[in-house]
Amino acid sequence: MQADPSDLVQRAQQGDQAAFEALYRAHVGRVYALCLRLTADPVRAEELTQDAFVRAWERLASFRGESAFSSWLYRLTVNVVFLGQRASRRRALRVFTTDDPAALERPSDGSGTGAHLDLERAIAALPPGARQVFVLHDVEGYRHHEIAELTGIAVGTSKAQLFRARRLLREALSR
Amino acid sequence: MMCSDREVQLSEYVDGTLGVEARALVEAHLAQCAGCREAVAELRALLAGAAALPKSIEPGRDLWAPITARIVQRATWNVQRAFWRGALAVAATLVVGFALYHLLPSSTAHDRREGRGWVAVQADYARATDDLAAALATERDRLEPATLALLERNLGVIDAAIRESRDALARDPENIELRALFAAAARQKVELLRWATRAAT
Repeated sequence: MQADPSDLVQRAQQGDQAAFEALYRAHVGRVYALCLRLTADPVRAEELTQDAFVRAWERLASFRGESAFSSWLYRLTVNVVFLGQRASRRRALRVFTTDDPAALERPSDGSGTGAHLDLERAIAALPPGARQVFVLHDVEGYRHHEIAELTGIAVGTSKAQLFRARRLLREALSR
Repeated sequence: MMCSDREVQLSEYVDGTLGVEARALVEAHLAQCAGCREAVAELRALLAGAAALPKSIEPGRDLWAPITARIVQRATWNVQRAFWRGALAVAATLVVGFALYHLLPSSTAHDRREGRGWVAVQADYARATDDLAAALATERDRLEPATLALLERNLGVIDAAIRESRDALARDPENIELRALFAAAARQKVELLRWATRAAT
């Protein structure tokens, strides 16, 4: 029988690592998918997934249950990705090769169809700014003002990046 | 081929974010423009595809082991750091207090006891602890629960020591050893609060 999520959160808040591991098992796929789509870099996505869960453990006390734990965790993950991005701008840029989509071919629910993979590859090949806004808006369902708040860009920039991403994706998928 | 100047409008049309009038204008245009109708169909297919992407992708390896190692390492590090900072602060205060008590000429020590220096020292400690406690109050949620509990336990112990020193000084205001004890406890509180605000930010 699965444990009650709110009970797991409460136990984890009291320092119960087994409860936190259960939360990790329940959410790691979603957190990793988010990191992977935002970065288009499987190695970086693994690092950021670890960072997100370590940060979640450290900040568990600030989770008051006003939203679902999953929403809180995914927002925290987006924050971690963008904080990491700002930090990594000061380091050497990683090179992503779009002909290495293996990591995008492991959907946990077995629903990776050909159309999905074409779209995943096309998203991964987008310029970073356009890709990130597209993933947050059209895949994750965030609104432009939320994206602006999470990423530190202006609402107008978020809209412009989304339109650009959609144009580039339509072009890529119609080839 | 869609009309190039309609790109933004068609995207907003598909999102359903256009006002009534703008929407009617787009629909009137779509009725006579096959290229834009095709673009709208492609946009809708793209959005449906994006919404249908798998929400979960498993990482290539289990990440729990490195995560738990980092959690344990940080907790140990935080407690060790707090302990050594506290211990160093106590040691430094005791050394300074001992030196002042034994090295200063008695007249100087008397002047310091009677003069404004002692009042200023107490005021400095009070101001520092108030500032740091206020800063910590806004950031305390960032500390992990175990660290927060440890911090509050230690602050309770130090506050009790400060209260006892103050009570003793009220009975014997010129006792320099009591002043050194008070200063040691106050200094320890400042150091602990300083560490906690740094750890929380």
